Amino acid sequence: MASLIMQMLEGTVTSLRIFFLTLLFSLPLGFVVAKGKMTTIRPIRWITDLYIQIMRGTPLILQLIFFYFAPFYIFGASYDRFTACIVAFVVNYSAYFAEIYRSGLQSIDRGQHEAAKVLGFTKPYTFFHIVLPQVIKKIMPALGNEVITLVKDTALAQTIGVAELFRVAQTASSRQFSTIPIFIAGLFYFVMNYIVSRLFAVAEKKLDYYR
Amino acid sequence: MDKMINLQNLSKAFGETKVIRNISFTIEKGEVLSIIGPSGSGKSTMLRIITQLERADDGMLEVDGDTLFRSIDGKAVYDKENERKIGLKTGLVFQSFNLFPHFSVLRNVTEAQKAVLKRGKAEAEDKAMALLRKMGLEDKAKMYPYQLSGGQQQRVSIARALALDPKILFFDEPTSALDPELTREILHVIRGLAEEKMTMAVVTHEMHFAKAISDNAIFMDGGVIVEEGTSLFSDPKEERTRKFIASFENE
Ligand SMILES: Nc1ncnc2c1ncn2[C@@H]1O[C@H](COP(=O)(O)OP(=O)(O)OP(=O)(O)O)[C@@H](O)[C@H]1O
Ligand SMILES: [Mg+2]
Repeated sequence: MASLIMQMLEGTVTSLRIFFLTLLFSLPLGFVVAKGKMTTIRPIRWITDLYIQIMRGTPLILQLIFFYFAPFYIFGASYDRFTACIVAFVVNYSAYFAEIYRSGLQSIDRGQHEAAKVLGFTKPYTFFHIVLPQVIKKIMPALGNEVITLVKDTALAQTIGVAELFRVAQTASSRQFSTIPIFIAGLFYFVMNYIVSRLFAVAEKKLDYYR
Repeated sequence: MDKMINLQNLSKAFGETKVIRNISFTIEKGEVLSIIGPSGSGKSTMLRIITQLERADDGMLEVDGDTLFRSIDGKAVYDKENERKIGLKTGLVFQSFNLFPHFSVLRNVTEAQKAVLKRGKAEAEDKAMALLRKMGLEDKAKMYPYQLSGGQQQRVSIARALALDPKILFFDEPTSALDPELTREILHVIRGLAEEKMTMAVVTHEMHFAKAISDNAIFMDGGVIVEEGTSLFSDPKEERTRKFIASFENE
């Protein structure tokens, strides 16, 4: 029993690591991708567009397998499962976040940029103090949905053998002929997403002081 | 050197469409110029070129003695050194206010003072409060734009522009988004500024108002100045001006 709890805790830590590492890299990278999709330089826009289409148009499971096995077939070298898993998640989620950022950036009225320009604000100042705060408020709901999806998607990491919570729970279940470990895992995802949605609700409320 | 604006032979096209064709005019210091004309005649484009929201194709522009661009081989060549300097001398009030919704009224008026002119917090706030008081909005300083009426929002945007001490203030249909009562509020404010000898250029469809405050007026149509001078309100010389003015008579 004690060893089961230890295993499930380890699995939980792995799931949480996937979750936080993915956010850490893909939240900022999504901005770079969004910029790429919005640039006037055509080749960059086309490549970014193709990349987003592929990430959104194919299953994440397939992308996980690709990022785990491709280096082996291409370079003859393999790297550890966990790294491959993080790479796949980051590449996938950057594309989704990019689309959210892009819609947020495009929803800002042109008049905001023009007023800022006429008042003499520099471009970086306008971006960080005028545009970005408004974008963040606009995209909060979409961002919240995506982060909740990420919590559940971490379970897909088992496809390439990463011992995240759900895989541990499944293994334990079949060994003990009991579904209880799976229910415990389910409880974790539920609690985790409860926390995530509360946090987003608080953030949205904080940004509610203007319209 | 008494000219605030000296614009010569300005031209501008969007793609194949010529929007401004060889326009010239001057605005003296302390003068109020009104710009009238039908939709699509190029009024906004002209203001946007002077306030550097658009680039000129050809022509020459001096603002308060500094050259923004001059015509070289049929092309407008900008003086990079002067762009920012001139930008600080010109202010623009938009039809749609364009206040920053996430800033309080006070911060809308202080932000550029602090970030652009590097004024201290206390100085910027004193200046902002004085302007808000002048606009009859001192009790609204802590509110957010969405909590104000359109007329109040427009007055905040005027205060925001004035806070940077522009040498000339441009208005692009400042009352077009407002109902008649709120329009009167704004016209009252602009009239007050005219009495203080603020140099201004106002694009407007309020003919009585334009006639009352203007030292000079231009009527634009199809990207050219058809007629110039305040007499165009009461005694238009050109047929096109006459028709345009007449269309406002039965309002
Ligand atoms: N960015 C742009 N790209 C292409 N065409 C433009 C652009 N801006 C303006 N135009 C065109 O230029 C012409 C003049 O527009 P402008 O906005 O200067 O007219 P206006 O006199 O201000 O009209 P209104 O009274 O409707 O505001 C119009 O035909 C308009 O469609
Ligand atoms: Mg216009």
